[in-house]
Amino acid sequence: MSVLFQLFWSFCQIGFTSFGGMSMVPLINDEMVSHGWMNVSEVSDIVAIAEMTPGPLGLNCATFAGMRVAGILGAIISVLGVLTPTFTLCAVAAVFFEKFKNSRALKNIMTGVRPAALGIIAAVMIDLSRTNYLVNGIFSWRAAVIALLAFYLLAKRKWNVPKVIVLSALLGLLT
Amino acid sequence: MKKTNLKKIWEMFIYFFHISWFTFGGGWSIVAQMQKDFVDGKHELTAEELLDIVSVGRSLPGTMIGNVAYLFGHRQAGVLGGIAATVGMVTPPMLILSVLTYCYTMFKDNVWIAKMLQGVRAAVVPIILVAALKLRAGAFPTKICYAIAIVACVLNAFLNVNCVLVILLAVVTGLIMGKWKEAEA
Repeated sequence: MSVLFQLFWSFCQIGFTSFGGMSMVPLINDEMVSHGWMNVSEVSDIVAIAEMTPGPLGLNCATFAGMRVAGILGAIISVLGVLTPTFTLCAVAAVFFEKFKNSRALKNIMTGVRPAALGIIAAVMIDLSRTNYLVNGIFSWRAAVIALLAFYLLAKRKWNVPKVIVLSALLGLLT
Repeated sequence: MKKTNLKKIWEMFIYFFHISWFTFGGGWSIVAQMQKDFVDGKHELTAEELLDIVSVGRSLPGTMIGNVAYLFGHRQAGVLGGIAATVGMVTPPMLILSVLTYCYTMFKDNVWIAKMLQGVRAAVVPIILVAALKLRAGAFPTKICYAIAIVACVLNAFLNVNCVLVILLAVVTGLIMGKWKEAEA
């Protein structure tokens, strides 16, 4: 019971302080690792799995984490947690839509949040790099080459993410 | 409740349940599909209204597309319409991910799967990086915003300040900056 409550509370906090997409990754990393629900490698795995499957990242992560910690019920509770802002704040916004549309406070908040979200995304990249490019404390050239290739294909050749993930998995096999 | 209303609520559930099976790459593909179906197709929504819904959904916390589905469902069929749209939208990814999580737990220690996962993990940081580079547009309207980004990164990465707290600080900073701007004007 207390695990379910903790899951709900964690994802509720993640929901209320994230603003879609990748901005959820650092929050999920923090919460999952600090509770011992996932390690950093598993956080990388869920990002990859979420990118390969339909549905938004936050919901996919919530399902994955909830399911691993407490089964189907855990998944449902975690998804409800991540949706709490939708069912509360957004429900209010829907009623007073015209006011929210041009809200100055909302715009001001986002001016602070957008750069901060990029800042913590940078932080999570540092965190993930520590485990993804160091195997038992030794720098992995193979992983670094895959990373550079992935960046080149995504940024310069405009490959889509699932294709890059499949290629990286195949390259992983070549050892 | 009137019968027509129930029908509308049900339609919202079915619509989002239907499109959410096929939307890879997060919420934007759902928005694109809504544009096709409701703006270009049925003319139930103008492009401007959709833009408003998306911009409000995006500036509220939570999953962007969850918010968008709720706002649109609410517009079409009231509170229950909003809930129906959101629940419809989240059900397919939940089902898919439940099955995948089960498989992941079963097979992740298999030698071949473990090797593949190691390759995939190496690609995750560049995937996040490329997504973050796209988010840069509009994130730095003033120079102070660069400072906010750097401080947020240092607080979280090197001083172990929890992300939730970092974002709450950013919310306060944004509000204070807004007040300053008003005072100047």
